[in-house]
Amino acid sequence: MIDYFALLGVERRPAITEEILKGAYFRKSESLQSDPSESGERFAVNAAFRIIANPATRIQHLLTLEFGEPGGGQIGADLGELFGSIVKVLQSADHQLGSLAAQSSPILRALEYQRLEGLRPQLEQVEKELSQRESGLLAELVRLDQRWLENTARTRRPLAQMALDLTFVQKWLSQVRERIIRLEELA
Amino acid sequence: MSEIVGIDLGTTNSLIGVMDSGFPILIADRDGSRLTPSVVYLPENGDPVVGAPADRMRALMPERTLYSVKRLIGRRPGESEKEDFPFAVRSVNGRMLLEIGDQLLKPEEVSSLLLKKLKADAETSLGHSVDRAVISVPAYFNDLQRQATKSAGELAGFTIERIINEPTAAALAYGLDRLRDRSKIAVYDLGGGTFDISILELNEGVFRVLSTNGNTRLGGDDIDRELVRLLKERIIGRYPELRPELDDRLFFARIREIAHAAKLRLSTEDVVQVEIPFLSGNRSFSYALTRMELEAIARPIIRRTRSHCLRSLDDAKLDPVKLDEVILVGGVTRMPIVRQFCAEVFQRLPNITQNPDEAVAAGATIQAGILSGEVQNVVLLDVTPLSLGIETFGGLMNVIIPRNTTIPCKAGEMFTNAVANQTAMQIVVLQGERELAKDNWELGRFNLEFEPVPKGIARVGVQFEIDADGILHVLARDTRAGREKVVELSSAVDVSDEAVEKMIAESLDHAFEDMSERVWAEAVLKSNELVPAVRSALTLVGDQINSEDQRKIDVLVSEVEAALKSHDSQRLKKANAELDEGTQHLATLLIDRAMNEAARRKK
Ligand SMILES: Nc1ncnc2c1ncn2[C@@H]1O[C@H](COP(=O)(O)OP(=O)(O)O)[C@@H](O)[C@H]1O
Ligand SMILES: [Mg+2]
Repeated sequence: MIDYFALLGVERRPAITEEILKGAYFRKSESLQSDPSESGERFAVNAAFRIIANPATRIQHLLTLEFGEPGGGQIGADLGELFGSIVKVLQSADHQLGSLAAQSSPILRALEYQRLEGLRPQLEQVEKELSQRESGLLAELVRLDQRWLENTARTRRPLAQMALDLTFVQKWLSQVRERIIRLEELA
Repeated sequence: MSEIVGIDLGTTNSLIGVMDSGFPILIADRDGSRLTPSVVYLPENGDPVVGAPADRMRALMPERTLYSVKRLIGRRPGESEKEDFPFAVRSVNGRMLLEIGDQLLKPEEVSSLLLKKLKADAETSLGHSVDRAVISVPAYFNDLQRQATKSAGELAGFTIERIINEPTAAALAYGLDRLRDRSKIAVYDLGGGTFDISILELNEGVFRVLSTNGNTRLGGDDIDRELVRLLKERIIGRYPELRPELDDRLFFARIREIAHAAKLRLSTEDVVQVEIPFLSGNRSFSYALTRMELEAIARPIIRRTRSHCLRSLDDAKLDPVKLDEVILVGGVTRMPIVRQFCAEVFQRLPNITQNPDEAVAAGATIQAGILSGEVQNVVLLDVTPLSLGIETFGGLMNVIIPRNTTIPCKAGEMFTNAVANQTAMQIVVLQGERELAKDNWELGRFNLEFEPVPKGIARVGVQFEIDADGILHVLARDTRAGREKVVELSSAVDVSDEAVEKMIAESLDHAFEDMSERVWAEAVLKSNELVPAVRSALTLVGDQINSEDQRKIDVLVSEVEAALKSHDSQRLKKANAELDEGTQHLATLLIDRAMNEAARRKK
């Protein structure tokens, strides 16, 4: 198992600022660029940055290095509830966008597009909720980072939970945003 | 070590450059021009003619003058709508080939003729031979298009040192003077045939692409096509008897040339008098084309770039207000409407300091300088534009390398035998963003071989590796036997496409015999939906179109109504289609209205 923290030369902990991470990554990339014989290592450095830059994958990597596995579990109950409402909005969006896309007459499509206006606020609403969740989780990460420094073993479970929640929130966010863009695209 | 040249192999124009004391210098040909039109004329006898002299043959010998070939490179037949080229494009064995007289040419062979000309220009100018090159491609090119471009370079006698993405190249050209800067920039590149948007972060000599998006079939050519359509309509309005003649290829080429010239002038003028003397016999045509008319047909085309911009911002996790600069590249961005559009999408005035024709070539040349060591302290981190995956059970796409992953990158998958003594399984490699496998590009397929062992015991790892050119390599490793091999992807299409097309055509012919009633019923259904829709659109935005267009729509509606009484399904289908086409502008106005309303509500 490669230690991506070590590879980039950053501290092994849950929270790392973008500034520090990028600085390390750029220095590494620069030293590799001037040395063509190291071209193989560029794969690893790019992978390292990708994994460490995303808080969810970073935590999973950290837990794997420390405890041999990323830990799992189930998403929190409140997220589960939110998920139910997101699925509904997504399904209704897909249905409406699908029938819009299937419409071949420009004029019928334009009229249908006008009718679709109700969808946008709905999507924007869930997007907002999810973004708030994401910021909340990231703020929580900073607190957990402190706890980790004090007591690694005790922070293991909450960190694993957080990585899981973050993964789902990120995934749903990108799905909701994709629908918002589709709506633009079909105009 | 010899020097490396940088090449912009454009849909419309191509250029070549070389580094000279730390600066990219673009090379002029014998006629003093740095821009070579990407046009090749193949005379019946004699050598191919390339560049400006070929461009002049376009209206004279449309069947033998090849242009916009980049739109065909690395493409498979049936991937999207048919192009209307005045030269013949045929599908043979799953490939698009150009048919000129009795010759069949691959698009990359035509491109290699262009590259040979550029190579000769550079050699004349430098006084020695050049054989290493960096070539730029649209960022949104897929693996097949990249490979085909690379082989065009090799056919021309170059060693291709790197394939660079066009907007990334433009960013290099822009950023070379700002090496100490830290900023986030968007490069909006709208050329003849392709659109690319890339978001980059400049950070003290590091150029990092955050995301890239685009469309390899969207550009100035589309505006030309719509403008030709408009002019044809106007000509028919004046001389209805000329309708059949207008479909002639020679005629198409002539109008296209005139339309194109008018389009260029309308970027700086408000009205252009379009003149077609001796249109037919001694009938001449003259028409005052306004910028407003051009913008009305260009707007929907330009608007198609919007979702790509939004996706790339989203992928870069960036709000437009966080951008420091939006840089415009590509000839089409000279149109004022494009500038307004960018200002609106990115919420800032775009930067037009980059020469839209030369930025990409200059950037490709800088990349050549980086590779040869002449340019130091510059690091380029680019991404792969499209997700790479494999087909799973149920015909779904399983993503292995997500889009916008920094290249070079690699990822692996482990496979095992599903049944005892299974010796092989087929892996289908896909590229694209769609959930269903069949909606993505199939890069190829290969057979993964197993040792005959009990079920679930075999362990074969497959490694997918995207190199710094964005090109895929596949490696399979049998971890039990310790064998490793590079996998060759075979093209998926091996049945002759003409056979397939014939099959489809035949089955359709038969289908129609049984279905004539259904065709009629469907057409009636459509008319019944369409006519009231047009009426209600007219009440909503009818005041925004002129009386001539109003009258034309009325005529089209009456024809649908007349056809409804005729019980002639072909006539009704045609009338519906014509009403669809005639109300396209009306539809655009409706959408504008909806968007404005949405924007107002947001405020
Ligand atoms: N002044 C102009 N106004 C409008 N369109 C222009 C202008 N100049 C060039 N174009 C269009 O830009 C396209 C070519 O752009 P360019 O960047 O050279 O393309 P490519 O990269 O595809 O070779 C053509 O469609 C051309 O008609
Ligand atoms: Mg270009």
